[in-house]
Amino acid sequence: MYKFKFADIGEGIHEGKLLKWMFDVGDEVKDGDTLFLVETDKVNAEIPSPVDGVIKKLLAEEGDTIHVGDVVVEIDDGEESESLEEKSEKKGETRKETIDEGKDMAGVVGELEVGEDVLESSDENEGKEEITSKKKSLATPVARKLAKDLGIDINSISGSGANGRVMKEDIYKASEMKEKSDQKDDSKGNNKKSYIKDIDIPKIKIDGEVERVKVSKMRKTIAENMVLSKSVIPHASSMDDFDVSELVEFRKEQKEIADKQGIKLTYMPFIIKAITLALKEYPILNSSYDMENEEIILKKYYNIGIAVDTPEGLMVPVVKNADRKGILEISKEMNDLIEKSQNRTIGLENLRGGTFSITNYGAVGSTYGVPVIKYPEAAILGIGRITKKPVVKDGEIVIRDIVPISLSIDHRIIDGADAGRFLNKVKEYLQDPMLLLLS
Amino acid sequence: MPLLNNIGALTYALEQEMEKDKSVVVYGEDAGLEGGVFRATKGLQEKFGEKRVFDTPLAEAGIVGSAVGMAINGLKPVVEIQFSGFMLPAYNQIVAHVARMRNRSRSRYKLPMVIRMPYGGGVRSPEHHSESPETLFAHIPGLKVVIPSTPYDTKGLLLSAIREEDPVIFMEPKRIYRAFKQEVPEEDYTIPIGKAKVVKKGEDITVVAWGALVREASKAIKTLEEKEGISVELIDLRTISPIDKETIIESVKKTGRFLVVHEAVKSFGPGAELISIVNEGAFLYLEAPPSRVTGLDVTVPLPKSEHFFMVDERRIMDKIKELVKY
Repeated sequence: MYKFKFADIGEGIHEGKLLKWMFDVGDEVKDGDTLFLVETDKVNAEIPSPVDGVIKKLLAEEGDTIHVGDVVVEIDDGEESESLEEKSEKKGETRKETIDEGKDMAGVVGELEVGEDVLESSDENEGKEEITSKKKSLATPVARKLAKDLGIDINSISGSGANGRVMKEDIYKASEMKEKSDQKDDSKGNNKKSYIKDIDIPKIKIDGEVERVKVSKMRKTIAENMVLSKSVIPHASSMDDFDVSELVEFRKEQKEIADKQGIKLTYMPFIIKAITLALKEYPILNSSYDMENEEIILKKYYNIGIAVDTPEGLMVPVVKNADRKGILEISKEMNDLIEKSQNRTIGLENLRGGTFSITNYGAVGSTYGVPVIKYPEAAILGIGRITKKPVVKDGEIVIRDIVPISLSIDHRIIDGADAGRFLNKVKEYLQDPMLLLLS
Repeated sequence: MPLLNNIGALTYALEQEMEKDKSVVVYGEDAGLEGGVFRATKGLQEKFGEKRVFDTPLAEAGIVGSAVGMAINGLKPVVEIQFSGFMLPAYNQIVAHVARMRNRSRSRYKLPMVIRMPYGGGVRSPEHHSESPETLFAHIPGLKVVIPSTPYDTKGLLLSAIREEDPVIFMEPKRIYRAFKQEVPEEDYTIPIGKAKVVKKGEDITVVAWGALVREASKAIKTLEEKEGISVELIDLRTISPIDKETIIESVKKTGRFLVVHEAVKSFGPGAELISIVNEGAFLYLEAPPSRVTGLDVTVPLPKSEHFFMVDERRIMDKIKELVKY
């Protein structure tokens, strides 16, 4: 049973006139419902119920003067009818009540907790014991994020900036070193590449004359990467023919302009541009699946890798931030990267950080292909040879420039429908190259 | 050593200082005979007489304005405003005279006066009884703003406030007036104004709170340390103005994360100032955005909905977890 006492509703009043009861005996009230209206010498106030329950007894009538501390209504709140003091002593709880600690204590506004809990004695030296904490590096939040994304413990890097601040370059450097040491570990066969060892590979039978060629370091790396990709990523492919007649014409026109600037203009920069625009609309294709943390990493930067055929084998240099560059700029950078790849003068930093790759097997005369995704990217686009083909256009058979396109996707995170929509978007841009200029 | 709650500690400090220093006077609405709306001055009139402890008319501007005159003329008034929600009539006096007297008189006049007021919600009050307006004072140059959270601190900080040469706004979290007790030494001791207290050392995140929310933060921290193994450094700010920047920055440099917890509404609240201090002083150490858990940008609701507004253990815990995982 809850005995509701009239409390001071402010400004230290002592009494009020009960104007109106909002409930009768037997009515149900909810916590917060107005129980009655009271008039003091300053205000008319609505007095809310502090509990849910049923009105059991009204102890004042409308028009009566009620005093602060008077019990004016009893509400059956399902609690046993024992005094609050007994209750709190019994349960060791904090009690809530309008303060009435003896007859000389008038009520106060609202309900104060009255607790018997004793805080520990204060000691001004509290919290002064030293905790030996880990060394913290100085770095901006953006550098911290970069380190986190690259899986580098920033506190382990000694910075080259002012007062030892860790700069972005320091993090890139640390990342490269980490990768090298990881590769060393790999060669010892004691890390995650162990999945290759887990397969019971049958011995190769030889039935004729052979020549044994020692596998180069680079070929070994390519082989490991391919096995990693095909072992980890469930590939699926989507294919289409793009009519690129307009692009062929457009490139012819632009080629002269580029030649004057000493830039060799191929179809590739147009394709790179079309892809970055489409990736912005379908970000899942510019992502990685982080199985360990069960997260998809959507990348907000667009670094497009280009598979390059070199005498030593396949290399994939990366055009960084392709979305922020124009066609000619991409062209110039790409030609430079291809040349350096073929001379083996390319730096590691130009072979890292790709978010999506393109392989142009059309360049060597192939028409169709099913490209292998470069781990940990989510997709790769394969481009076949452009050939003139008869196609039906507006009900007529016409000769058009057709390029076969093949998109491989990480089927864990990309569905066929998304792949199809992405391809359609790329197609839109390549069939009407003016759109590339407008974007 | 007496075991007192926060109200008891207030009375104790006033009584001891009035005995020691005859220039201290205490007054306010019902502060004399009744001992104040929350009984903080109970028994003082009986002991020190009506000249030193007296009731005033219902006139906050008059209460504060008259204290300015008394303080200039050698008294040390400790006035009580019944609720922080009712201090607005006195706000003109506070801003126009109390905060500026030393500046205006080029230090000829000091102004040793304390304005006490209960503040904060969580006690199912009617309108105007639950606000946390510390920013309104902290934003005014020339005022010191103090908020104790324990009985020990209440006595130590109030004695410092009374002995200050400049005006102090002494805000009392009413929700914890009688919520717990603590040993309060009989001897004279003070706690310096402008110095925060590191309540607990930790490594992963710095949490700053004051008033009633020190208790809520402590509960959240205890649960997190036991269940999640998160090590939290808790700082009781104690003084809202001037802020103890040094203690906060030093702590954030160590933990790399910062959370401020306050009952005042979010926009333009004290948390914004504290976050700026952290950004300016520990930017290169931050592992997560300095953040705040606060009251909502609304008038404090009436009892039925008040719990939606109040900062509680759950909200603090969720934010700490989010920042540590960031």
